[in-house]
Amino acid sequence: MGPTARARLPRRLRARLAGDGGFTLVELIVTLTILTIIVASLSAVLVSATRTEVDANNRFQAQEQARTGLAQLTREMHCASSVTVTDTAGTALAAGTAGSRIAATVPSTCATSGAVNLFVTWCTSASTLKTGDYALYRVTSTSAAPLCTASGKVKWADYLTTSTPFCLPSTTAACGGVLRPSLSLPMLHVTMPVNLNGPSATIQGYNVVDDIALRNGAHT
Amino acid sequence: MPREEGFTLIELLIAMVVLTVGILALITAYSSGYVALNRATRVSSARLIADQQMERYQAIQFSAIKLNTTCGASCTEDATFTGDSTYSSAAQVTGCTTTDSTCLPTQTKTGPDGKTYRLDSYVEYACVSGTLVTSPSLTCGSGNPYPVKRVTVVVRSTALTAPVREQSTFTTFPGN
Repeated sequence: MGPTARARLPRRLRARLAGDGGFTLVELIVTLTILTIIVASLSAVLVSATRTEVDANNRFQAQEQARTGLAQLTREMHCASSVTVTDTAGTALAAGTAGSRIAATVPSTCATSGAVNLFVTWCTSASTLKTGDYALYRVTSTSAAPLCTASGKVKWADYLTTSTPFCLPSTTAACGGVLRPSLSLPMLHVTMPVNLNGPSATIQGYNVVDDIALRNGAHT
Repeated sequence: MPREEGFTLIELLIAMVVLTVGILALITAYSSGYVALNRATRVSSARLIADQQMERYQAIQFSAIKLNTTCGASCTEDATFTGDSTYSSAAQVTGCTTTDSTCLPTQTKTGPDGKTYRLDSYVEYACVSGTLVTSPSLTCGSGNPYPVKRVTVVVRSTALTAPVREQSTFTTFPGN
């Protein structure tokens, strides 16, 4: 910086540039304390926001799985030629009684059967992710609808809070308060409540309910 | 402390404004994310209710697809119902005598998210080709196929920016 440039600087700034007085220890400590408080409160907000985001993501994923599972189930049931709701042991249940397993016959012409006459089971089994919750599985066979203990089953949804999501209503025996209308196709009533926090949680639940018309049935 | 020069009030105010703008921007980002998530949940819940109702129409016979407009309060068609663009009093299919959910013009349903939604169902005669004539008999005009039934399901809620709608037409065939 030449003498001409130095002369152009205002006097106050020149004085400040020339001065070598730094901050005192007290000033530094006060500044650091205030900064720490601000950063700590900001990071607390960030941490809780991140936690909420992770929770919301998990919840969304569980709901999405339930809906995807239901869509796949609906597609398969629309084409199935025979649908029975049974208990875990495979015993058929009366109309209006909720069961944990569906045994369906899916003809070779259906999109989901892989061009062979397929016996399909949709069933629930204890969840491996959350104690007390259940997971929804699909398992197939070419000879007879397997039980849920069979190997090779594929998981379609998790975090269900009921073990018995399936029910076939009749015109007199309701499922979840819904009767089968007179002169209608048979209907499969599906109830899939989803909760990441287990069956006893009262908040953050999501209850997917649907009626699936079994289109290969007869109007009765 | 030899020096007594601190920040001026102006400097302090500018710093605070800048900080406030920054923090507000952060908060807005979070709250808009929350609003978007909520809206997505509402729409998918409404869609599920509409799907369920439409599936019920799929299950019943062609002749049973009709509304009950004479069962009292729950079958009354209010201004919201008749104000919909789908509504047509002349083409409406009535005559149901039960209170099955397919017969009710307006009903309240609880969605998977636990919130309540208003479910409106419209059942009208419609023509695939030609123009609908209701008197003296129901036709689509000479040479045109018989009228079909058009079902529109509308799910309404104040939490939805627009009602969720689903429409399907039903036709009769032998044995149904």
